[in-house]
Amino acid sequence: MLSLIIGGAGSGKSAFAEALCEKLDGERLYIATMHTEGAESLARIERHRRQRAGLGFETLECPLSLDKAAIPAGANALLEDLSNLLANEMFSPGGGGAEAVRRGLSRALSRCGNLTVVTNEVFSGGEDYGAGTLAFLRELAALNRELAARADLVTEIVCGLPNVLKGELP
Amino acid sequence: MIFVTGPLYAGKESYIRRALGWDEADFRARAVRDVQELVPCDDLAALADRLAARELVIATELGGGVVPVDAGMRRKREQAGRLACLLAARADTVIRVCCGLPQLLKGEWP
Repeated sequence: MLSLIIGGAGSGKSAFAEALCEKLDGERLYIATMHTEGAESLARIERHRRQRAGLGFETLECPLSLDKAAIPAGANALLEDLSNLLANEMFSPGGGGAEAVRRGLSRALSRCGNLTVVTNEVFSGGEDYGAGTLAFLRELAALNRELAARADLVTEIVCGLPNVLKGELP
Repeated sequence: MIFVTGPLYAGKESYIRRALGWDEADFRARAVRDVQELVPCDDLAALADRLAARELVIATELGGGVVPVDAGMRRKREQAGRLACLLAARADTVIRVCCGLPQLLKGEWP
């Protein structure tokens, strides 16, 4: 089952996605996309680790090259998050752009029994951005639409509550 | 009139053209898109009336980000939101598209 979880900053999408994974079968795997450097990143990583503690997730650090990640066959994986992975592939050294993300998702889909992808709603604040940011928004929107088209479940998270756009909650 | 709204690059036009079975020529003749670019304007109600005469109106949501520092940008996004409300009030059907997926907010599916 492929699930896409979209929400704004602080909407509760991570907690929702974790709770969703608890209801799904397979070895729980957390695919962490954030570069592990900088105080803010580390604080956020620590908060997410505490939130996941006791839920039995193995953590796989994957800031780049998802297509080469060692994902066990049949895993119940939570990828958090797509926007971060895309930003890394587009803007950090050694990145392969949106195509690398697309390849990685395709491989993750073929490896996982259940794949839950967390992505960000960052498209309602207008178009008054630089060219690089607009290119990022266009690529992220395209990936979101592609995943949504293939997904069994798509839900927006508002104030921690699901607004289901496709499929049914398990 | 059908009013379609949603975030940037959400697939609003592709979705509604598919749903209505319209080609490029149908769309040009019967629809207007990016109406958020028509503001600011001095008479929003008259603009909404004029737009509502079309069969299909598409707008991109602009009001979800941080309040812009620039006064002109603040006025534009405020008016874009107001215009969307006026259009939704005049519409028979309102659909919001997110990640290419439609959600019915008013009326019936086309």
